[in-house]
Amino acid sequence: MALLAQQPTTAPPPGPPAPYRRRWRDRLNPQYITLAIAALAVAYLALVPVGTMLYSSLQSDFLGTTPSTWTLHNYVSTFTAPGIGSLIYNSFVYAAATSIFSTVVGFGLAWLVVRTNTPAKGFARIAALVPLILPGILNTVAWSLLLSPQRGQANLALHALHLPQFNVYSLAGMVFVQSMHVIPVAYLMGTASFTSMDSSLEEAALASGCSPARTFRTITLRIARPAILSAALLMFVQTISTFEVPQLIGVPARHFVFVSRIYSALQQFPADYGTVGVLGIFVLVVACIGLYSSQRLSRGSAVQTITGKGFRARAQDLGAWRWVGFAGFVVFFVVAVALPLLMLLWASFLPTYESPSMDALHHLSLTNYSQVIHRPGIVDAMKNSLITAFSAGLIVTVLSAVVAYLTVKTRIRGRGLLDGLATVPIAVPSVVMGVGILYWYLSAPLPFHLYGTLTILTIAFVTITLPYAMRYLVPGMQQIKDELEEAATASGANWPQAFRRIFIPLLMPSLLSAFVYTMIVAFREISAAIFLYTSDTEVVSVQVYDLYSSGNYPVVAALGVLIVLFLSLLALVVRLISRRFGIKNGS
Amino acid sequence: MIKLTGLVKRYPGRAVGANAVDGIDLEVGEGKLTTLLGPSGCGKTTTLRLIAGLERADAGTVEIGGQVVSDPARGIFIGPHRRPIGIVFQSYAIWPHMTVVENVMFPLKVSRPRPRKGEARKRALEALDAVGLADFAERPAPALSGGQQQRVALARALVREPKVLLLDEPLSNLDKGLRGRMRDEIRAVQQRLGITTVFVTHDQDEALAVSDDVVVMNGGHVVERGIPHAIYTYPRDMFTARFLGVSNSLDGVVESVGPEGATVSFGKRSMLCSQCEAIEAGQTVSVFMRPESFKLSRRQHSDEAWPGTIEFSIYHGDCWDYHVRLGDDLLKVRVYREKVGLEHGDLVFLEPDPDSAIVMPAATGMAATPAEVPATT
Repeated sequence: MALLAQQPTTAPPPGPPAPYRRRWRDRLNPQYITLAIAALAVAYLALVPVGTMLYSSLQSDFLGTTPSTWTLHNYVSTFTAPGIGSLIYNSFVYAAATSIFSTVVGFGLAWLVVRTNTPAKGFARIAALVPLILPGILNTVAWSLLLSPQRGQANLALHALHLPQFNVYSLAGMVFVQSMHVIPVAYLMGTASFTSMDSSLEEAALASGCSPARTFRTITLRIARPAILSAALLMFVQTISTFEVPQLIGVPARHFVFVSRIYSALQQFPADYGTVGVLGIFVLVVACIGLYSSQRLSRGSAVQTITGKGFRARAQDLGAWRWVGFAGFVVFFVVAVALPLLMLLWASFLPTYESPSMDALHHLSLTNYSQVIHRPGIVDAMKNSLITAFSAGLIVTVLSAVVAYLTVKTRIRGRGLLDGLATVPIAVPSVVMGVGILYWYLSAPLPFHLYGTLTILTIAFVTITLPYAMRYLVPGMQQIKDELEEAATASGANWPQAFRRIFIPLLMPSLLSAFVYTMIVAFREISAAIFLYTSDTEVVSVQVYDLYSSGNYPVVAALGVLIVLFLSLLALVVRLISRRFGIKNGS
Repeated sequence: MIKLTGLVKRYPGRAVGANAVDGIDLEVGEGKLTTLLGPSGCGKTTTLRLIAGLERADAGTVEIGGQVVSDPARGIFIGPHRRPIGIVFQSYAIWPHMTVVENVMFPLKVSRPRPRKGEARKRALEALDAVGLADFAERPAPALSGGQQQRVALARALVREPKVLLLDEPLSNLDKGLRGRMRDEIRAVQQRLGITTVFVTHDQDEALAVSDDVVVMNGGHVVERGIPHAIYTYPRDMFTARFLGVSNSLDGVVESVGPEGATVSFGKRSMLCSQCEAIEAGQTVSVFMRPESFKLSRRQHSDEAWPGTIEFSIYHGDCWDYHVRLGDDLLKVRVYREKVGLEHGDLVFLEPDPDSAIVMPAATGMAATPAEVPATT
């Protein structure tokens, strides 16, 4: 169609410049209007929660009955309160241990997959998909069923083998369960880093007389170091700002961290809004520092690994050691994928929770599933989750497509700011986002009330997923060459037409991936939703938490299995789209 | 110095028969620079990596300096770090987290016995001096240009005085101008040190310019081997002829063989070919001619000249390329030092050069046309 149009290769003959200039202005106007709208929307989403949080931490009686004044009192009282030292210490030890453990395992697996001839790499690749299909809340539930003292299935098995049991309700348990959830992310980052490292660097060391072990230490690890540190910081930030493990495992273990402290301060009566604000800002600052350093490091490593042609990531022959690597894959697969999923599956078929045995086989039934379908609370929660995830997916996809277009494809002034605003939510922990949004809609003098509606949850999901969607759309947009739009314009199309008829069709794969991926993230989200739901607007992840808290494990398991099936389907869709259209996975 | 016997390397995951290196026997003489030349996928780089020990052979032996370093049949495999080699990679492979001098010192620091304190540094600086980079010693390695990085790689490969220097397409990442300079430098250093060198390239000009010995490879086999001059002037294999730019071939019959050479007839035309070992009268042959071997003129100077018409002409600055139509045949002809070019439809006369025509029996020649060589990756 329009692409067939010839592009003028020579300058037009000197004539009146007026029509040319007018067309230029015609092109700009809708761009500026769109930019302004997009910038306002993104700024509102990104800045309001953080701003409200900061404001609340500086108020003497936020959301209170007495007139509130500006004060630093909250900071003083929070940081002088008894137990604050151990709270900070606990939070950092928990996050640091998780970060180290998950980075070591994740990068170890990535190295085995990318750089060695270890067999059966499929195990690791499948395990890398786990956090997409097994939400953190279900991962935590499954592991507490497996590893609770005396009753957990894995502990019973350990006991039968005369091995010491592992009590999940401990700091080590928290670190382990959270690691199972984030190791796949570390693995993906490790894969990216090892794939972009030139094997010749190691081969040059070997050919210089350096032993393989020493080469691994002095060359491989040294060159991957910025990427490793960057991943470790990211794991740290992610761990310090999520809800599930600190609440479900940390609280029974009497091991409080920032997130569980924030939650309990909001649950108690009267709620301690000031302390929550201060802790939220503290976590935000830690997250910002962590992410900033992480990005600096990974930028440095990108410069280091770029090489010219002749560049290859070759698999190294491990000899007999490859069977050790193989064992590592199998163990990881069993622990990270098989155990939690089988645990959920087993528990979902038993009306009352019991250990696997021949006897128990007779009790298998679909009672739990029929409960899931017939309990009004659960059905409503599913409906709410679908509505919010779908609307968030739609809104985020459109918004990020516009933002990506403006930042990548135009030279319009202010686009840098827009890009910056769109990345702000990455640095805001979901907990802070949830509380910030809650505070804003409770306190702001708005003409409408959003608290207790699905809209407030959708707003939270849109804000949280915006950076993820951008990660699909910015590269997608960059792949579309400017000439394609110019050719459309030269064929007489105006800017909205060019956008609709050239960009949208070419962008379809990226748009679809961003949409489905956003739905997945929104569907499994709990860290923000836990602060925003009311009894009418419960979502599935919160429902899992509620059912679990009230001890209804069999129904939780059945609901969990359904969630896993649904998310697997969505993840499959993303993979199919990516494979079909050859887009790089943005996650 | 290097001896390869029956060397085989299979592609991982591929059927037996599709081998990257398919039974190579090769000896590389002491102090010689031997080039492995061939199109991409011919197995030249794999052969080099087998010599280095960066790949494990599936069969055959590798000997360096009289020592067997790889023989799967006897379970012998000596790792790359224990072979007396230095290697330069296409991608330079300069370690980005070290300075220039640290890069060059590295082989000495990991060697045993460990050199005395300061000795390693002294030798590294000498090696850098030899490649003209003494002033850059303290720079961070990524700050250097491509050509400089490749020099650092060369210094690093040579610093521990290996018995064998292996060069894997060392020039192909460099700009055109730099490539020639670097090529001459490598040759100069190699001759000064007298180090046994294996040089892998797909560029015939590079191969001819630097080598003592050229080994032409294709499809995992050695096609032929010889000194650059012989390989270029009288290739004995059709693949070599094509690969080295002999683009014209005519099929004909040997009419007679005399003291001056063989007379080959191509229907209406015929020519004398002075190189005609093992050619008999009545034999069907292919005659190969380089584009630049013809004498082309507007007037007929001798009865031997063939009349034809210009079909197509391309101007290159220093020369003209013409496609000349002779009945059913189309010949490519290159003419140097001509001011005014010929144009489409001009009548010309071609005089073939008896001394540079290459005659091959038709059957053997046909067996190895590049078009019939299975495409390998």
